[in-house]
Amino acid sequence: MTTAIQPAGGGGAGGGGSSSGLADVIDTILDKGLVIDAYARLSLVGIEILSIDARVVVASVDTYLRFAQAVNRLEISETEPKGLPDLTGDAVKGVAKSKTQSALDAAGQKVSDFLGQGQPERQKATRVQSSREDQ
Amino acid sequence: MTTSDQLGNQAQGTQRQSGIYVYGIVPADLQVDDDARGVGDPPGRVEVIREGDVGALVSEVQIDRALGTPDDLQAHEYVLDRTASIAPVLPMRFGAVLTDADSVATEVLRDHHDEFAKALSELKGRAEYIVKGRYNEKAILSEVLSENAQAQALRDDIRSKPEDASRDSQMALGEIISNAIEATRQADTQTVVNALEGVASLVNVRPPTHEYDAIHVAMLAETDRQSAVEQALNQLRENWGDRMQLRLLGPLAAYDFVVANAPGG
Repeated sequence: MTTAIQPAGGGGAGGGGSSSGLADVIDTILDKGLVIDAYARLSLVGIEILSIDARVVVASVDTYLRFAQAVNRLEISETEPKGLPDLTGDAVKGVAKSKTQSALDAAGQKVSDFLGQGQPERQKATRVQSSREDQ
Repeated sequence: MTTSDQLGNQAQGTQRQSGIYVYGIVPADLQVDDDARGVGDPPGRVEVIREGDVGALVSEVQIDRALGTPDDLQAHEYVLDRTASIAPVLPMRFGAVLTDADSVATEVLRDHHDEFAKALSELKGRAEYIVKGRYNEKAILSEVLSENAQAQALRDDIRSKPEDASRDSQMALGEIISNAIEATRQADTQTVVNALEGVASLVNVRPPTHEYDAIHVAMLAETDRQSAVEQALNQLRENWGDRMQLRLLGPLAAYDFVVANAPGG
């Protein structure tokens, strides 16, 4: 087996994987990998990284408030109840989407009441599925 | 014992200022390009110190400054990952430095020769891949809200009051979102693990590193079957749409599957 290492900075790794950014590298190499037990001569050189703590996910007051603010922003721009044109369109999202779906469910129910079982149920399922795919 | 003449000489002349940085353990017949660049500034030249059937990927490093710049970290991973795409490699944790080439040959390679050789043969043809998913903020929040009536009620309460007066509702809403994302993350992670069954020989679920992290899974897979891994992920991408961004990293050295002195576990 004859093998070679390419110079650093020579572009992305071969194959379909994306190249690693610094954050990915930090996740991987700082707390993983082989450590030899004969540690008398083998030492970890001082590591100048102070920002690691910031990467730890802790559910805290700050996190909760950030989520709440994100919902607030979302509500203003994304999930305001939509007018009729939006409700009938395909790209209905979020809360409006769920309302649309229950409306579709109800409509499907009524249609199947009229027509009996089978086909209308299938149509309803197809429509709900396609609205998911648009998400 | 065979060690690099160049490294041996350098180490004797400058023992106080420099050490030998060890990236990982490789088969003894691995050859390294002359222009492979290691950690340090200027970057050290990467070489192999050999002992029997195993070798150590090393470069000389000045020890008068602490390691850990972004360039150092990326050089460490780059050297290992380039190797992992073509040969088995046991990665060392970042920052391992020995005093000289002889110490590497004796204390690392000779003392652990058989277990290294065994681990390398187990790793042959396989490498680590990491699947990372990040939720689209708008999509995941909309999803949580649409499935949780209490969250909707809290959102409406927050909307109806001045910001200061709705603090309790904000906290309650945030907690619901946080718990819901955690539950969704676990379910989605399980979906990924199930989808990788059959292409991955080992899987390690990593903790999330961001509030909106969806998936953080490391796997050991045959490099020949990378396309099957990609196919599995493409199917998931199709199912999930823009709900999350799903990335595949690799092939990488088997960081998640080489532990202390018991590699392969």
